[in-house]
Amino acid sequence: MAILHLPLGRRVVALIALASALGANACASQHAAAPPPTSANAAQSAADDDEASGLLEHHRFHHHGGVTLFIAMSLDTLGLPQNERAAVEKIRQDLHTHMQPALAADQSLVATLADGLDAGNIDTSKVDSEVSQLATAAAAAHDASSDALNELHNVLTPPERAALVDKVEAHWAVWQRANAEASATEHAEKGHLATLTANLGLTPEQTNRIRQTMSESMKGVPRVDAQEATTELHAFGDAFESDKFDAKSLSGTSKLNAHLASWGAAHLAHFIEAASPVLSAEQRATLAQHLREHAGHNPSAEAQGAT
Amino acid sequence: MSQQRNSPHAKVAFACLLGALALASSACSVGVDAGYPAGDYDDYPSDAYIATTEPVYFNGRATYWYNNHWYYRDGNRWSHYDQEPPALASRRAASPPARRTYERPAASHVAARPAARTSGAARGRR
Repeated sequence: MAILHLPLGRRVVALIALASALGANACASQHAAAPPPTSANAAQSAADDDEASGLLEHHRFHHHGGVTLFIAMSLDTLGLPQNERAAVEKIRQDLHTHMQPALAADQSLVATLADGLDAGNIDTSKVDSEVSQLATAAAAAHDASSDALNELHNVLTPPERAALVDKVEAHWAVWQRANAEASATEHAEKGHLATLTANLGLTPEQTNRIRQTMSESMKGVPRVDAQEATTELHAFGDAFESDKFDAKSLSGTSKLNAHLASWGAAHLAHFIEAASPVLSAEQRATLAQHLREHAGHNPSAEAQGAT
Repeated sequence: MSQQRNSPHAKVAFACLLGALALASSACSVGVDAGYPAGDYDDYPSDAYIATTEPVYFNGRATYWYNNHWYYRDGNRWSHYDQEPPALASRRAASPPARRTYERPAASHVAARPAARTSGAARGRR
């Protein structure tokens, strides 16, 4: 021990420093057991405050952007310094502009569903066509956004890029909760059926009939492979956090955009189609009004975005 | 070595070491609630919180004030500062974390439906 060869005074100081360092290491190691950021446990234990509930509501009804929408929404709360805000706000607006065709398709779909509820007869062929158009437009949104994403990478510092990746993955976790199938045991308490049951005061019989119809009608809809989507998002995150980034090289994101948009929209459509014959006229009117409110606004694009 | 260990100087140094360790251990425990017991991972920012809350950048990391601690991502894990760094304390005293509200929760959509048509400006406020 080299410390023991020091004069007494220095030896005491050195030992205190060593002890402090040991203590600090002990403090740091206590956190090593902390879990990954987006585990199911964390999602399930999320505090249901207004912001969290509002975000769930948004991801239940707005399916026009997939990962591109997650990225644009992540810019809303990135906490950037003043000197970066103007550039990032322009990028945020560009991203929303590129999602505009998908937004229009999404709004048209939701309006069709609302009209069908009012009429007591949903035009399913029109709905299917609009879901397909939405998926195509959502895939194109990523390709059109490549330059904006590359510019975003240039503007942000490494810690800001890492924060953005955390937020994109957090949106993905919340999206899964918001769009959980009614038959799924995980996350389903925040899905469409649970929310409608609470909001419209559905009877257990109504809830069961909707669940049964949904489980049959969704059989033909290609599922989102959560593991595959997570892998794709990690690829985006790793690329975005690195020094060199080219959005054009992330071809899988276009596919994921289309898949998230089409699954989310198809799930919503099948849900409304299953619920419509089970609901009373008054309940249908309430749900139709709720859908029209969503079709008529796009809160994630509002100007108080990038910070 | 044995002579040094038994010398008065060595005893003083050893006593100082024990005292310093006790102090370091005591300081470490201040502000630590319970660490992360196995299987209990509730006490760190939820996904919805991360997605709707502005971080504060400190020491090259985005940090989030949550449940009375500042949390940050450390690789694939979340960690928190046991004791609040003065710079973050000052920041928190100056302004609370800004959060974004995208929609009114679904229940209030339905319950307050007639009013909702005229209160759209409240949506999406920070």
